[in-house]
Amino acid sequence: MKMSSWLLRNELIKTRAFVFKNWVMTKRNIFTIFEILFWPVVGFLSVGLLTEFSGLQPRMRAFLLVGVVSMSTIQVCQLDVAYVLLYDVWSKAVKHGFIAPVGIRHLLLGSLIVGIARGAAVFFILMGASYYFFGFDFTTVGTGPMILFLLGLFLCAATVGILVCILVLIFGNRADVAAWSLVSLMLLVCGIYYPVTILPRWVAPVSEVIPLTYFLDYFRHFYGFKPAFSLVLPKGFILVFAYLFLEITLMKAALRKAKKTGLLLKLSE
Amino acid sequence: MNFAVEVKGLRKTFVSGWLRKRKTEALRGLDLSVPEGGFWGILGANGAGKTTLLSILSNLLTPEEGKVMILGREVRAHAMELCHKINLSSGHANFLWSLTVRENLEYYAMLYGLPGKRRQTKIEELLHLFDLRRFARIRFDELSTGTKQKLSLAKSLLNEPELLLLDEPTVGLDPDVAHRIRELIQQLHREKGTTILMTTHNMKEAETLCEEVAFIKDGTIKAFGRPKDLKRDLRLGDTILISFQGRLPVSTLEGMEGIYGFQANDSTCRILVDDHRQRLPQVLDLFIGQKVFIHDLRIQESDLEDVFMAFTK
Repeated sequence: MKMSSWLLRNELIKTRAFVFKNWVMTKRNIFTIFEILFWPVVGFLSVGLLTEFSGLQPRMRAFLLVGVVSMSTIQVCQLDVAYVLLYDVWSKAVKHGFIAPVGIRHLLLGSLIVGIARGAAVFFILMGASYYFFGFDFTTVGTGPMILFLLGLFLCAATVGILVCILVLIFGNRADVAAWSLVSLMLLVCGIYYPVTILPRWVAPVSEVIPLTYFLDYFRHFYGFKPAFSLVLPKGFILVFAYLFLEITLMKAALRKAKKTGLLLKLSE
Repeated sequence: MNFAVEVKGLRKTFVSGWLRKRKTEALRGLDLSVPEGGFWGILGANGAGKTTLLSILSNLLTPEEGKVMILGREVRAHAMELCHKINLSSGHANFLWSLTVRENLEYYAMLYGLPGKRRQTKIEELLHLFDLRRFARIRFDELSTGTKQKLSLAKSLLNEPELLLLDEPTVGLDPDVAHRIRELIQQLHREKGTTILMTTHNMKEAETLCEEVAFIKDGTIKAFGRPKDLKRDLRLGDTILISFQGRLPVSTLEGMEGIYGFQANDSTCRILVDDHRQRLPQVLDLFIGQKVFIHDLRIQESDLEDVFMAFTK
């Protein structure tokens, strides 16, 4: 077998290991089913019914439903990226993973694949629910924009999930709370339920450095909302890739630090 | 001689606390060389630095100072390459709780890059070797401690390591399970020639399994060698206790080879010898030759426990 194909196969097997782990853990644990079906649907229906009660115009309803569906999709997808480390932390099996010849790329890519599968499931479930309950059709934007939007959401989710992993490697298992709280912080500043233009002036720089702000802006412009920024898609993707690069570097550094401080061992005790 | 492990001047200090930092020196300039194919035991009290040493060797922990060579390669510079050649099994095994025994092995086999067919063959082989087939479909959190430990050992052999690190592999196990695990470890060393470095509290276990042992105390190796040699060096020897009737030839005993010392009164004698197997016939000959009647004879063998006590005093 050629060296290059051997290396590629090796890479794929190691990446598949993390897909396998997250997938089996997902299907065995009831809370992960709740993450896909219960909380997103409850949240979505609450917001949808609120729009009904408020008598909002279809355009405004679209604004809110896009926001709530995006948030649920990101939340579920980022959890999988975070779980790739958290499952080991909760099992106290961290050391076994890190003595194996795997890189951070395998860990992140493998978990992101499961995250994308679960996130996409949430997106399509809520998309169907939007149409069924509130007559809102997500597909009107077309396949291309939808794929770009989803790609943006999944990459944003990856940045959040990696950040959780970094925090766990720095602060230990008490940082696992970040897996559920970081997304809520994003919710405040990136225009999930309202346009970022209404935010106080001092918050604006924060929302401008969050890629999700641009992806939401991009998707909503198909429903008649004028984008608050120019070149939303390029800005969103440049930012998200910059964060991914930065975070992978930071995660490597955090891992080195955890080996130095002994935290990696503590996470296995 | 080729060394599987070469450690020189290893230092590791743990710092804890946020405001008032507390430093704990775990290793203080430790040196150790384990030859390829050897089976070495690392013995020491709690907190002596045994697990810290193994963690550094498996690149889970970074030392402040010192040289660590594994299989002729510097551990940090060749981390990825060495990961393929090392594995670790520790007592109080923990793995992903929802995965079954087979799934856990499948997962870790994939981490080592084992392709499909080879992976399945290896898993089957290990399930058979460790008598885990009947537990293959049982989730990890439903296993007994002994079975978890067997899984931990099975996992550590997935990549057919050249260096196997065992951190208290039988701690907390029932005697029969511990015995079976010792047999398996011994079999592995005998059949595959794997270099094994094992930490343990159990002196009998170390004496049974290890070719050489090293005593670690306060972060340094205090002594190492074959258990027999260590006992000799410490002049621990064996004790021959004799109850007798007659006149004991004290002056003859004094000059005999291999006798470290003795205490005697009118009817009992306590003789400390280097090795009772060698010296007992001589002692008996002496008693019989002098027509001293022996009522009772007992032998107390010193073991690694005595060596351990001598070093940890």
